[in-house]
Amino acid sequence: MLDCGMHMGYNDDRRFPDFSYITRNGRLTDFLDCVIISHFHLDHCGALPYFSEMVGYDGPIYMTHPTQAICPILLEDYRKIAVDKKGEANFFTSQMIKDCMKKVVAVHLHQTVQVDDELEIKAYYAGHVLGAAMFQIKVGSESVVYTGDYNMTPDRHLGAAWIDKCRPNLLITESTYATTIRDSKRCRERDFLKKVHETVERGGKVLIPVFALGRAQELCILLETFWERMNLKAPIYFSTGLTEKANHYYKLFITWTNQKIRKTFVQRNMFEFKHIKAFDRAFTDNPGPMVVFATPGMLHAGQSLQIFRKWAGNEKNMVIMPGYCVQGTVGHKILSGQRKLEMEGRQLEVKMQVEYMSFSAHADAKGIMQLVRQAEPEAVLLVHGEAKKMEFLKQKIEQEFRVSCYMPANGETVTLPTSPSIPVGISLGLLKREMVQGLLPNTKKPRLLHGTLIMKDNNFRLVSSEQALKELGLAEHQLRFTCRVHLHDPRKEQEMALRVYSHLKSILKDHCVQHLPDGSVTVESILVQAAAHSEDPNTKVLLVSWTYQDEELGSYLTSLLKKGLPQAPS
Amino acid sequence: MEAAENWLVESLRLYQDFHAFELLAATRVLEWIGDKGVFVAGYERLKRNEILHLLLPFRLSVKENQGLFPERDFKVRHGGFSDRAVCDLKHVPGTRLLVTSGLPGCSLQVWQVAEDSDIIKAVSTIAVDEGEESLWPRVSVFSSMAPGVLHGVRLSGLRVVDLESQKTTYASGVTDGEELSSLQVLDAHTFAFCCTSGRLGLVDIRHQWAPSENLSPNPRGGRWCAEIKGQGQSPGPSVASLGSEGQLSLLDPRNLDHPVSSVQCPVPTPSPDPELLRVTWAPSLGNCVAISGFDGTVQVYDVTSWDRTGGQVEPLFTHRGHIFLDDHGTDTAPLITTHTWHPRKPRTLLSAASDASLHVWDWVGPGGSC
Repeated sequence: MLDCGMHMGYNDDRRFPDFSYITRNGRLTDFLDCVIISHFHLDHCGALPYFSEMVGYDGPIYMTHPTQAICPILLEDYRKIAVDKKGEANFFTSQMIKDCMKKVVAVHLHQTVQVDDELEIKAYYAGHVLGAAMFQIKVGSESVVYTGDYNMTPDRHLGAAWIDKCRPNLLITESTYATTIRDSKRCRERDFLKKVHETVERGGKVLIPVFALGRAQELCILLETFWERMNLKAPIYFSTGLTEKANHYYKLFITWTNQKIRKTFVQRNMFEFKHIKAFDRAFTDNPGPMVVFATPGMLHAGQSLQIFRKWAGNEKNMVIMPGYCVQGTVGHKILSGQRKLEMEGRQLEVKMQVEYMSFSAHADAKGIMQLVRQAEPEAVLLVHGEAKKMEFLKQKIEQEFRVSCYMPANGETVTLPTSPSIPVGISLGLLKREMVQGLLPNTKKPRLLHGTLIMKDNNFRLVSSEQALKELGLAEHQLRFTCRVHLHDPRKEQEMALRVYSHLKSILKDHCVQHLPDGSVTVESILVQAAAHSEDPNTKVLLVSWTYQDEELGSYLTSLLKKGLPQAPS
Repeated sequence: MEAAENWLVESLRLYQDFHAFELLAATRVLEWIGDKGVFVAGYERLKRNEILHLLLPFRLSVKENQGLFPERDFKVRHGGFSDRAVCDLKHVPGTRLLVTSGLPGCSLQVWQVAEDSDIIKAVSTIAVDEGEESLWPRVSVFSSMAPGVLHGVRLSGLRVVDLESQKTTYASGVTDGEELSSLQVLDAHTFAFCCTSGRLGLVDIRHQWAPSENLSPNPRGGRWCAEIKGQGQSPGPSVASLGSEGQLSLLDPRNLDHPVSSVQCPVPTPSPDPELLRVTWAPSLGNCVAISGFDGTVQVYDVTSWDRTGGQVEPLFTHRGHIFLDDHGTDTAPLITTHTWHPRKPRTLLSAASDASLHVWDWVGPGGSC
């Protein structure tokens, strides 16, 4: 099972996947060899504790190390919002999250992991967010690659997705962004800088609620790079909780970030910026402009919410939400345009400017084509799109790469024919016999080879028929066919035979035609004998007999003789 | 890296909105459909090209609360494949049909934009009288109950063909083989033409060929193109003519022989590819024209106070994004292939360049943001 996400748009059962697609009656553990989680975004792992602890699954759950570290944090955050803020019942508990994570087996990039004696998986770098991976799933010579979410252009803290020419039978990829052409990273950054700049210039304060990792890092680097250039003096702060956590994770997962980050980190603390300082709660009330990065990211609790409450009433201020907010959070409310909020029994009027910016990096049409070009799959499967809006992309992929492209709807099963390659060992004797035939091997012209295929103990061997018979202790049987051709001819049998011999000799110039002392005629291994008809002396019966191997020649001879013999000159 | 970052900081005060995209292939076409979508198409020879219908990022069409719309991407709403290079594309207003012209130039292609899927399908071709292999016919559309396609490579081959019946409803009937550079339908029975020599004319298709045109030969040389202001726009000379040596002339259609003003634009000359020259009138910004085709910039001029004295002028605004955004440096900087104004937003333009970049920019007018 690939990923186990939560649907952000629903509050009822529809927010979790319908696992009855896997089985209606049995235990999921019996139907699944393993579960693979591509990255920590809730739409890919949000239903995991529900799946493993409430529906029931005890098998292994594979994910990368950063994903393993970050998943539980996000799941717990999400659980808190759902239960504490929205009062949901029938939701997974903190203990369930812990129990679920106990089933996790973490993997490294490019490490081949044996799930069992048949199934193996391998993770590839996907960019997108820290720890995101694409997975190759292999059984024998057949394989599938699942991309999860990936990004083909590097950003300030992550590299670009990469995969080798692994030539899977099938590549499964997201098509949500397939029909978009992405605005450049520079322009998104520009928009962010512009908004911050404008607010600070008019004396306002900018609040940026962030999750500890990823975007915060990126935006800090951005501001740090441009602060001097833009000649800004206003202070930039980072809440300490953020720094510690982020540093901790980046230390753990330094190999997952891009080259630049790695270089910086080796030299100093990740968050030791020239212009960015640690935040103190007391600064919230300082006059004048400032920029603050604070957790949590959806304004649902903690420091970011506290700051928000103090700054919301001033229209000079701004809050920039860098990502999606789950329903029920203050973040979600203000992004929906709500300007009056109820908090702890009091009304809060939101006069500050609200900006929703998307920094998430997804592959677009171009990115998908790049990935398909890299992996060289035999077929492509697009998921999460609308069929009517993907016809063009399907044609593009099919025409450019000459592969089949599928776009199944939810609940639809796709069956792909594959041509597995089965290695067969050929016996030396058989090979030598073929070589003796004289013709040199020609890579452009396949030659037909006859042998017997012996399948024993998962081993395939091609040997000569004789050897096969010997090995199997069987005697060779021969099939012989006999045909009677009736011809009107008053002459004696011996004369008849002689005439048959002359006739055949003149026609079958390429074959060995012989007249034997007993009167019979042979053509290769075929025997022709003349006999008198039992009842009519003027009718002669030609007995044509041949082995199964000479079927073709035998049939030809028979039809030839049926036409009759030419009139011989006396 | 430095130059790009410096320019980015500069851009904070130069532009209100700025979006930069990278298409799969460069386009010479930017044709609007309504005010929310544009068509682009590839122009590579001997290769399969794509025709795309792109929807502008939603936030550009939103009037209020723009900040709450994070999506900054183009959506590919429809796509199709063309075996030929596409040099021009015109949408037939009120229909789901498109007409394209390209190389080889012996016929035009008619396409249908599907309603129930995202495919643009070729439906028919229009044979071009006196078509030529290496010149593509200029195209403009008479939109009416029975749309007609005005097209031609030279004056002698100018025709109007009824889209449905494929019958020729108008022919210039002249033997003059001057090559055309622009064709523009002005209303139900008038169109304007501009030849590469700079010869301009206005034709009424209800009468036999008798254009009002500038007959005095153009002494300035070079290759020319022109555009006429739309109806209902600001008063003043309505014909703008651009030459490959950087000359920009403004003319009154009633007196094409005597330009109202003639100026020299500060651009590198001559244009490295005069076929890409383009001059456009701003639809909702009084008396502004934009030019491109000399380098990697688009220049906007306010022509209000221009008079006959001519001489040098300075642009109101120069868009340098195509040069600086990705650190090309001036050696390998791309060339602008086409540009167009947003039909509604006064200072928003779209520009495309030879490196497949496509920008949507909204520059800040004099006196701060609009």
